[in-house]
Amino acid sequence: MRRDTLLSTTLLAATLGLGLAAGPTQAQDETPITVYGVKSLSGGNASYGKYAEMGSKLAIDEMSAKLGRQIDYVSIDTEGNAGRAVRKVQEAIEQDGARLFNGATLSSTALAVGKEVNEAGGVFMTPAGADEITGSECNPATFRWSVPTYGAIQQTLVPYIDSHPDAKRFYTITPQYVFGEALLRNAKQVFADKGVEHVGNSYHSLQEQEFSGYLTNAMAANPDVLVLLNFGSQSSNALRQAINFGLNQQMDIIMVWSSGLEQLQELGNDNIDGIYFGAQYWHEADTPANRELVKKVEEAYGITPNYPLAADYTMTKTLLQAVADSGATQGETLIHALEGRTYQGPTGEETIRATDHQVLKDYYLLEGKGADEMTDDSDYADVVSSGRSFLPPEKSGCQM
Amino acid sequence: MLNVYLFQTLNGLGLGMIYFLISVGLTLIFGLLNFVNFAHGAFFLLGSYLCYTTVTLTGNFWLSLLVAPLVVGLLAWLLERSLIRRIYHLPHTFQILVTLGIALIIQEASIMLWGPVGKSVPAPDLLRGIVRLGDFAYPQYRLFLIGFAALVAVALWLLLERTRFGALVRAGSESTETVSLLGTNIFRLFSITFALGVALAGLAGVLSAPLRGANPFLGPEILGVAFVVVVIGGMGSFGGALAAGLMVGVVQSLMASLWPQGSSLMIYAAMAVVILLRPYGLFGRA
Amino acid sequence: MTPKLTAPARGDNRRTGNAITRRRPAATTLAMFAVVVALPLVVPSATLACEILIFAMAVLGCNLLLGYTGLLSFGQAIFFGSGAYVAALAMIHWQVGLFTALLLAVAAGGLLALLVGALAIRRKGIYFVMLTLALTQMAYFIAYTLSDWTGGDNGLLDVPRPPVALGGFTLFDLETPLAFYSLVAVLFVLIYLGARRVIDSAFGSTLLAIRENEARAAAVGYDTRHFKILAFTLSGAVTGLAGALYAMLLNFVPLSNIELPMSEQILIMTIIGGTGSLFGSLLGAGTIVILGDLLSALWPRWMLLLGVALIAVVMFMRGGLWGGLEALGRRRAGASRKTQEDA
Repeated sequence: MRRDTLLSTTLLAATLGLGLAAGPTQAQDETPITVYGVKSLSGGNASYGKYAEMGSKLAIDEMSAKLGRQIDYVSIDTEGNAGRAVRKVQEAIEQDGARLFNGATLSSTALAVGKEVNEAGGVFMTPAGADEITGSECNPATFRWSVPTYGAIQQTLVPYIDSHPDAKRFYTITPQYVFGEALLRNAKQVFADKGVEHVGNSYHSLQEQEFSGYLTNAMAANPDVLVLLNFGSQSSNALRQAINFGLNQQMDIIMVWSSGLEQLQELGNDNIDGIYFGAQYWHEADTPANRELVKKVEEAYGITPNYPLAADYTMTKTLLQAVADSGATQGETLIHALEGRTYQGPTGEETIRATDHQVLKDYYLLEGKGADEMTDDSDYADVVSSGRSFLPPEKSGCQM
Repeated sequence: MLNVYLFQTLNGLGLGMIYFLISVGLTLIFGLLNFVNFAHGAFFLLGSYLCYTTVTLTGNFWLSLLVAPLVVGLLAWLLERSLIRRIYHLPHTFQILVTLGIALIIQEASIMLWGPVGKSVPAPDLLRGIVRLGDFAYPQYRLFLIGFAALVAVALWLLLERTRFGALVRAGSESTETVSLLGTNIFRLFSITFALGVALAGLAGVLSAPLRGANPFLGPEILGVAFVVVVIGGMGSFGGALAAGLMVGVVQSLMASLWPQGSSLMIYAAMAVVILLRPYGLFGRA
Repeated sequence: MTPKLTAPARGDNRRTGNAITRRRPAATTLAMFAVVVALPLVVPSATLACEILIFAMAVLGCNLLLGYTGLLSFGQAIFFGSGAYVAALAMIHWQVGLFTALLLAVAAGGLLALLVGALAIRRKGIYFVMLTLALTQMAYFIAYTLSDWTGGDNGLLDVPRPPVALGGFTLFDLETPLAFYSLVAVLFVLIYLGARRVIDSAFGSTLLAIRENEARAAAVGYDTRHFKILAFTLSGAVTGLAGALYAMLLNFVPLSNIELPMSEQILIMTIIGGTGSLFGSLLGAGTIVILGDLLSALWPRWMLLLGVALIAVVMFMRGGLWGGLEALGRRRAGASRKTQEDA
């Protein structure tokens, strides 16, 4: 149950009533749009959910004013639990007629919610990372903003290898997630393509927080580069411990899937100086839309935007613009309005690919800075390279 | 190749000392109070956060070594006097439920106080470097940890074996009735022991902060490790916590080279095997 | 000759049964019927009602072990998760029908519980608890490692919800939440009544005897090991069924079904509802699910309140919500008796 349910239901009823009274053409303009945000506000991914929520709300306020329409936002707390999230989404669909969804942090949540929304003929935009979302499990309702594993690897390892011709030996640390396997598979392909040696890999389990053993393996293999293919607190701990072991003196370290600003803030300069990070979003990217976003977020919240915020903001805004343009709040009309849509996003011009509903956007390779190099509070890293790499639709496994 | 295994063993011993520190408080509390503390990981967490705050405010890591365990211990002492002592007599089920509740409260309170994003704690300046051992390097900080944990182990041993307090704790874990009849204020003994056990968890949190940072969701993993070590070593056994800690550390480290995916599995399988074969652990008693 | 499986006299329940249900078993059963019928009307959606009953079923299974046999098992997630996986995989790969899938889940849950129980009961007290904990962690590891089968951390998607069919003829479609609820409700009622019979039977009395004083029960001649394993098997079967229904509800099997926090959640629902009370299963599951929904919409830090509630229950209402209701009933009965005396 969401607190806004009663409010939105009453508003909807009132507006519909007004609409019916006013006549058919006016009714279409008056129908309030409701966006349902699937956010991890409590439980394990609370750090993500908090900022994602801020992004959604900012977009809603902005679009509400711009379109001159009432747009409501309802929050669905996943509680960090995919099962709970799916049940709540089912309820929203069944009870409230919910059709517009965004969010989901965990891949499993995103995949399952996408299926539910698809059944209902709605639209769901998610930033979750699993390849399958726009790959083998793609469906008409689901759209994804972030870059999946192929692009993340291509846009970090390839520019690195190209600019570091002396780096020949690469060691990987991989989490036993399906997602981790995908990153590893793509990494191995790059190593083969570029003719560098993959000197070894250590898998680790899903709850692991102690990396000394794997770092020891890495040391034994004597690599030029340590590639971290894990994410979240596991990647933070692996990096902390690697630096503790002085590995950053012996080799370069690349964290392929970092969550950007808030992870760098968490790690602190000592832990990021000279380290390479892959990121979906960076607030210093010089694009018109990003400059605007940074300004807006500074005004509204007094902070620098980070990835969860930027992702949810962009997705929500794009979704709402498509709703306004197509006049539809669900179904094929809306889906067609989104397919092929090009817009100014924070990473530059972004396009929603029609074949698999993957947003084509840039991925960034960042290099962390020491405390003395920072020009302001959030200047934790410089963009070393950015670009977009996506598997051609036939290869992504999507059959819609 | 042999080199790696040797080094993994050394690394494992270091890890083991950390695990000993994490678990000794838990075993102490169970030994004397027959109390199952599912909030152990949460107090560890609190120690890490207090370390972060102390270091942020004063820039002094050594100070946090003193301050954090004291604060956590004080909190535990207050908790014991108000809440915990009322549930000693209850079956373990309720002790688990209450401490799960406390763990949840601490977890959510940490988010309220420090935000949902984690924090890093730098190692003290003195210990930033590494020590070279041939091809390998070992962090100075972890060496310090081994030494410090050993000191704590010795101090605790002295406390348990050579002081009146320790004698009371050991006697009390055999029979609290007898100890009470002999004139000890058993309530005060319990309070102090509980506070000490929890303070040790907080201390472990402080020491682990430069390695793992502080984040609100650390608790469950630490609790899992602590229970594995305590069960293998024998619930209530100080020596058991040491031996089992070292064993678990070495196994986990070696597994990283032998079968990295399986390190978690091996630890819990080892726990199951020990319970089945030697119910009271390596050094525990009925 | 040591007698086996002979029933102690009915009266032995006196010390261990709970007051109201013992004297008037029909009352709570009627209340259960009322709740099951009214639930989808009272809560905002039939889907929520399904989740409540599914967890209430899992709590019934847990209660069999905790409330009646006195065994605190952290292993319920093993059976819940396995039931879900087995039913889902059977439907996906072998296109089995509804009842076959559910039966397979029951069998899987029961079989695993038999194995887990046989292992775990070799130890008692806190060591038993720790063993179930270790086994759950191992099951979790196996589940995410066998990602080709289970989908790993992505979970198992596209789990069908087959219709109620007999001999190839579709009788009743379960697509709508209310339709599915009726299936869940019927199964829940059957399980509940079955549990009632087990509790009231000789077997149930022996379980209670084991809970109260295992040494004495053994001394009197019961093979306590057999009884405990059987209790485990029943518990696992019921929990497996709940897992399968959950898979069909969500069309999805998340990895979290087989994680330790799931076991904890089931235990919390059991204890809050009232350990040793069948009706308490409904109370516990309903309260935790509904409270969680209500609070999570109001405050992201709502879990803090859950923590406080757990402590409060142990300090003030150890019998859980059912215990609280009982106490209320006793007080009322006492008061009315008093007024009757005064009159």
